[in-house]
Amino acid sequence: MEILPGIYIDISLSLVVGLMIKTLMVLILVFSVIMVRQASMMDRVVNLPIGNTLKKVVWAFFVLAAVLTFVVVVA
Amino acid sequence: MPELFDAHKRMHEELAGVKRLIDSGRFRSLWGSLVVEPKAQFESQNENEKVVILGRRHFITNISWIALVCFAFFVPFFWNEFPLVADVTDNVHFSLTVLWYLALAFFAVQKFLLWFYNVYIVTDERIVDVDFFGLLYKNVNVTEIRKIEDVNYSQRGVWASFFNYGNVVIETASEQRSDEVFGKTGEASPFTFEAISSPDEVVKVISELMEQEEKEEYEGRTK
Repeated sequence: MEILPGIYIDISLSLVVGLMIKTLMVLILVFSVIMVRQASMMDRVVNLPIGNTLKKVVWAFFVLAAVLTFVVVVA
Repeated sequence: MPELFDAHKRMHEELAGVKRLIDSGRFRSLWGSLVVEPKAQFESQNENEKVVILGRRHFITNISWIALVCFAFFVPFFWNEFPLVADVTDNVHFSLTVLWYLALAFFAVQKFLLWFYNVYIVTDERIVDVDFFGLLYKNVNVTEIRKIEDVNYSQRGVWASFFNYGNVVIETASEQRSDEVFGKTGEASPFTFEAISSPDEVVKVISELMEQEEKEEYEGRTK
């Protein structure tokens, strides 16, 4: 398909779905940053001994999301 | 002043409801729905204020989203049954699976955090209701024990009766509401402990604290 004179692009289902997936991965990464912030805010409001463990879990999720987003977007 | 504080402390130790809950040995875990005298602090806690009860929704109320997560976990095993998904390349297939599990994990962590930190705190001086809505909104209601007018609880349905949880509604003299969000939650009062474990015991403890406050106020007046 010619989108501009001389520029051709092959729009397939995989291309569209792939683009949507990459966008959603970035969106989840943004949400996970917000979740990290939220977990620390929650821990400040109600300070429980296991709050630190939960914060670590949320940070681990963020790191995992960042790595996977990088892999999927670059791949 | 130290004498007054000692008297307050002595009276608190005599709370039969708290003693009974401690003796039962069931309400000590911080992961539980009802924790008696937890090692917890909250943002606006006063220096000598002691947390008597920390409650949150009964764990069984999470069953719907846990079941949903369990069901969704197996969906990628059947990707090829979905007509559009079956037509994409292996690379996109892999990306879709990664996205699915990441979104599922995000949903589960988010739900768990909201359950864990939406707490109801009863101290020897105040009642604190901490509500988090979604990712970016919190609502904290605080009232003093002496301002409580009425405490009651309700248990509705088979699950509530079977797992012994219910709503504790605390009526205060003040009708001021902290935020518009309160109206949207459909709670009967800003201080509604929703689906809290052993609501009868919670009501007993709050009633005892109210009696204690009244006694202190009376003694303060007669001295």
